[in-house]
Formats: sequence, C-alpha cells, structure tokens
Amino acid sequence: MIRALIVDDEVHAREELAALLSETGAVTVVGSAPDAIAGMRAIRQLRPEIVFLDVQMPAVNGFEMLSMMDDVDLPDVVFVTAHDEFAVRAFEEGALDYLLKPISRERLAKTLERAGRGTPPEARPAIAKAPITRIPCAERKAIKLVRVGDVESVRSTLAGVYLVCGSAEYATDLTLQTLEARAGLLRCHKQHLVNLDAIDQISLADNSAAAIRTRSGQTVPVSRRYLGQIRERLGL
Amino acid sequence: MRILLSLIETLSVFVVLFYFYTRSRFFRPQKSEWLGRRGKLSLFVFCSALTMVGNYLGIWLEGGVVANTRAVGSMIAGIAGGPFLGVAVGVTASIHRLSFGGFTAVSGSMGTIFDGLLGGLVHLRRRNRPESLFDWRVAFAVTAFGEICHMGFVLLVSRPFSASVEAVKIIGPPMILTNSIGAALFMLVLRERERVVDQVAASSSAKALKVAQRTLRLLGNGLGNVALELAAIVRAETGVGAVAITDSETILAFDGLGADHHVPGNAIASSLTRQSIGGREVVFADGVHDHYHCSIVPDCPLDSVLIVPLVVDNAVVGTVQLFEPETRRFRNLNKSLGEGIAALLSSQLLMARYQEQKNLLTVSELKLLHAQVNPHFLFNALNTINAIIRSDPERARELLVHLSHFFRKNLKRSGELSTLAEELEHVGAYLEIEKARFQDRLTVETEVDPSLLGIRMPTFTLQPLIENALKHGLSTKLSHGTARIRARREDQQAVIEIEDDAGAYVERRGSGLGMRIVDKRLKAVLGESCGVDVTCVPDELTRVTVRMPAEGVLQ
Repeated sequence: MIRALIVDDEVHAREELAALLSETGAVTVVGSAPDAIAGMRAIRQLRPEIVFLDVQMPAVNGFEMLSMMDDVDLPDVVFVTAHDEFAVRAFEEGALDYLLKPISRERLAKTLERAGRGTPPEARPAIAKAPITRIPCAERKAIKLVRVGDVESVRSTLAGVYLVCGSAEYATDLTLQTLEARAGLLRCHKQHLVNLDAIDQISLADNSAAAIRTRSGQTVPVSRRYLGQIRERLGL
Repeated sequence: MRILLSLIETLSVFVVLFYFYTRSRFFRPQKSEWLGRRGKLSLFVFCSALTMVGNYLGIWLEGGVVANTRAVGSMIAGIAGGPFLGVAVGVTASIHRLSFGGFTAVSGSMGTIFDGLLGGLVHLRRRNRPESLFDWRVAFAVTAFGEICHMGFVLLVSRPFSASVEAVKIIGPPMILTNSIGAALFMLVLRERERVVDQVAASSSAKALKVAQRTLRLLGNGLGNVALELAAIVRAETGVGAVAITDSETILAFDGLGADHHVPGNAIASSLTRQSIGGREVVFADGVHDHYHCSIVPDCPLDSVLIVPLVVDNAVVGTVQLFEPETRRFRNLNKSLGEGIAALLSSQLLMARYQEQKNLLTVSELKLLHAQVNPHFLFNALNTINAIIRSDPERARELLVHLSHFFRKNLKRSGELSTLAEELEHVGAYLEIEKARFQDRLTVETEVDPSLLGIRMPTFTLQPLIENALKHGLSTKLSHGTARIRARREDQQAVIEIEDDAGAYVERRGSGLGMRIVDKRLKAVLGESCGVDVTCVPDELTRVTVRMPAEGVLQ
C-alpha cells in the first residue's frame, strides 16, 4: 500500500481524489490538507510516500510550497490541476506526474504504476529552486505571510524557528536550512540567520566572535565559524 | 481704317484694365462658384467704368456719331454676371452716352443695353457649363451679333435715315470687329489668370501631398516621439524661417531660426499660442499689422507667425507653427499650406488614435473570447460536479444546469445589451458554481434596488468584475471570504458595487485589462460620466464601483 496525502483547497476535489485512490486498493490516503501551510505540516507529521498537490491554492501555491520544504522531507509529488498551463513547469520542478481534473481512473492507475516503480530519493531531480519571497507563519488563528525584506534575523530554538521583525516575532515551520538556501538570508551562527540589509553594526568581541546589531536594535550573535563569510559578503 | 486702328488702340487700354482687374482681390477666378453680392458689385463697377472709358476714347465723327468700344463692358457684365447685371451696366453706360448728345445717342444706348441683355441670356443658357460660357469664341460671336443688331437700331431709330446709313457704313465694320475682339480678349485674359491660379494651387497641393507622404509613416508613433523629424520635414517643404511643433503645454520641437532659445521641452510662453489652443483657432500675425513678439529673447529674428491648432476628437492636442523673420514676408501660399499641413497632421493623428483603439479592441475581443471559454473555471466546475455526483446526484444535476446556463450567457455576443436582471442571473449562475467549489469558504450577499432591475447595460458588465473579485481577491484568502453585490440609486445615477473582503487589489495582476474593457465599453455606450472605479483598503476590502445613468442604455 502506498501512503498518500492530498493537498487541495476544494473539499470536493479532495473527496473525489480520495475516493478514486481508495478504489484502486493500492493506496491508503493518510490525510488531506486544505492549503499549502497545512500541507507542509502534514507532510512532516504523516510522512506520506506520495503527495497529490493542487497548483492553485490561496496564499501559497503548490510550487511555492515545494520551495519552502527541505528536499529530504519531500515525498514523490504529483501535481493536480484543472488546466494544463503549468504542465511544463511541473516537470521542471521534478514532479513525478501531472494530472488534469477531472481525473479518470485509467490515468490515475498509470500514475500509481509510475510511483510503484519507486525512484530512490537521490535519483530524483532536485525539486524547487525558486526563491522564497514570503514566509508563511502560524499565528493563533490565521496564517501570516511575512515578506523576506521585513525579516531582520531568524533564530532557531528547541521550540521552533522564529522570524524576528523588529519587535515582533513569528513562528514558522520552515527550517533554517531552507530559509538560508532560498530566502537569501545569511547564516551567522549555528542557530541564527541574518538579513544583510538589516545589519546596522557589527561589534567584534575578544574571543574572535562578534555580535550584530540590527536596524531595530536587536542583537544577533555571530560565531567564529561564520564571521569570515559575513565579512566577505559585506565586502570588508 | 483710321477708325479701326483707333479703336484697337482703345482695346489695348482695356486689356491693361482687364489685367489689373483679374489680379485684384475683387476678382474670384473660380468658375464653379458664381459671383456673390460683392463680386457682382465689383463687376458692375468695373464694367461700367469700362463702358465710360469706351465712351471717352470713342472716335467723334460728324453729327455726333461716336465709334466706340462701349459694348465690351456691358457684354462682359452680361456673360459673367447674368442679364440683370448686363442690363444694369448697359443702362449706366447709356445714361453716360446720352449726356454726350448726337443723333445716334438713343440708338447707341439701345444697342448697349441690348448687348448687356444678350450677354445675360447667353449666361443663363450656358450657366451649367462654365467651360463653354467663358470661351473667347462664344464671346466673339455674341458680341459680333450684338453689334450688328446695334447697327440695325441705328438704321431703325436714328433720323435722318440717309445720315444713319452713312454712319453705319463708316462705324459698322470697325465697331463690330473691335468690340468682338475686345470681349474675346477679356475671356483670354481670364483664362490665363485661371491657369496661373491653378498652377499655384497644383504646386501647393503637390507640396502638401509630399509632406503627407513623408509624415504618414511617422505619426503612427504619436506626436511626441516624432515632432523633431516632423518639424524638419515641414520646414524643408515650405522653406519658412522656422517651424515649431507643440503639444498643448510644451514645445516638442523647433527647427530653424531662433532655435538657440526656443528649446524643446520648455513650456509654451507665447500668448498667441495659448490663444490658438484656448480658442481652438488659427492665429496669424502677418508681420505687417500684427507682429510676433518673442517672449524669451528681445532680439529674436522671428517677426511673423502662423499658428494652427491640431484638433483630434474635438480637443486641441497641440499646434504647428510656421515662422518668418522680419526680413521676409509671410507668403500667402505658406499660410494656406501651413493650414493644410495642420489639417493633415490632425487627421493623421486621429488615424493613429483610431488604429491604437482598434488594436486595443482586438486585444479585448481576444480576451473576451478567452473569458467566454474560461478553461480554468470550466474544468474546476466539472471536477466539482464530478465529485458531487457520488454524494448528491440531485445537487450535481442542479449545478450542471447552472453551468450550462452560465456558458449559454457567456456565448452571447459582446455587442449586445442586457438588463441588470439578466446580468445578475449570469453572475448568479457563476457564483452558484463557485460556492459549490469553495463551500463554506465563500459567502455572497446581494442587495439590489428592484427598480433598477430593468435598466440596460452592455452585456458582460458585471461578470468580469465578479470573476476578478473571486479569482484575484477571495480565492487568495485562507480564511472565509464574503462577496457583496449592491445596486442602488444615487443622484440620478445607478451605482453598482462589487466588493470583496480580501483587499488584495494592489497585488492583483492581469485584472486591469478586464476592468479597463468594461470601463471602455460603458463609456463608449453611455458617455464619459460613466465607468468603473476601484477603491482598496489593503487586507480589508476591494470595492469596484460601476456608475451609469439611472435609466441605463435607452433603446
């Protein structure tokens, strides 16, 4: 049995696909998500082998969602969409398959056949190199999309990853690794990223480490290991 | 023989007079336009004077007989001006002749009046064929006939008869001959003059056409981009001292004398230009009565100017200005040429605008066609219905009816009109499908003044706006969204509002065109006071407002 996750903002589309998948007898639908943010969480929590991903979704679309995840977390991806304008891009993003709604049983069987052959993760083409411009953050009741330009630094704690924007902080599901690779933020410490544009001052300490003061007056530690890089990027 | 030579001498005086008359500003060479009141008056004065000169220069013979060329005047007046004018000149000449006395005075007067009448009759007969009326052969023959009759009057009226016979023998042949030649000569001078005028007209039209040919290719790009090139072409073709092209506020191009201080990009400083733009009129300072005063440099060489507004769609979009320095006279030819060129540029600009609008129309038609098919919506709708068939076949059936209803309306021709009720029905079918797709995520509230349901508007006024609100607004929201449709009366206007609570207008891409098309079509059908406005409070709401007269499009 293949463990599958469905991410689609339309309830009927989710139900229809779930029904079709169950009918095959080869798939267990382990969950479904109504948007990309819930989708990312579901992927991390449920560890599906395959995700059926709608392209057009509110706030964060399917392509953006892929770029917000670490490659190691990603299962096989099958894009599902109503119109074929994204087909080429979907395959450039390394998708396993591309399905058009409404989905026929025969076509779905082919997709599963392809999935059943099993591609080892390392042989899969790298997915999603698109830069991230807005970072989804969970607030109590809503999802906030924080523009990368507003982020001064990012810190990772045991409780999770936090974006520091002046006096406000937002928790995000994205990892430091992803943010470093695709949001253009710079690593300055094992547990910190900094936005180069937000740096106000760097003060060197005795132990050859340093501290950055951001434009809003927050302090971000710089470890010895990353100081060289930072200096280089600032042209010092 | 002596009499003949003397009369021919008189004729040479006439020819000189003809020449000056045809060059004077009283004279209008256009044969197709018959003389107006002023033209007739000037013709009367001229011909009357001619007859009097004929009287004075006549050859006096024994017994008060005068061999003369008086007939030329009344004949020309008759042929060119009609019977009334011919007789009027004849009578004037006769009174003048009677004051001289002599036994042929009465018969001669009768002859002159008769000549005028005869010429007038020929005028009436050939009025529709000016070519054959102003023919030297016709003038010659008619005058010869008139003078033969004149001699007949002498024999009939003047007594003693023997003296009359004697007089006719002496003055008859030379008068018949010279008067006929005189009238024929006038026609020849007239013809010559016409030819010259034609030539001038031909050369200026040739120039205008050349300018047209050279500028046609340029103006498609709009006035601003090509003004420099245009000014150079106009100057090269007219040979004037300087040429300027302005839009309604600034100088776009200046070519020629004074280019050192008349700099493109500067605001219009001349009061004459503002007068031309403000009054939408041709302003001409001829350098004699009115002068051009450069407001920038006091010793600017330019002294006379012609300013012609460029009028497109009843609005002044700029001017073309032709300048001459103090040392040169502003030629009339260049004045008419300048006006012609401006008219030409105006129509070319209009053409360019028309072309641009046509292109936009093509784009909007294509866009509309795509909207009619609307593949993304169609397949999503089919997918939704496909899913609902499992759980609720009755509901699926309903949705299929809505879907077919929507597409049937979509395939209506874009040029047609719909009532607000029909538009709402179309939008309603669309929203039913979208509500089924998004379920609890979408609420639609409608609040319509029922008295507005019957007003007509262009088909597809509301649907594209609703679709924008969903596609670019509500569907980007993670949480629940509400669309509101309101229609109400407000100051003689029908106001229709389409509102969504996403407030994402600033981020909308591609929604501009659909809205622009709706706006343009409303304005085209209902005038400039109608149209579409958008207000947006980010993250709160986007409101698209349609305004039109409360009675809608009348049929």
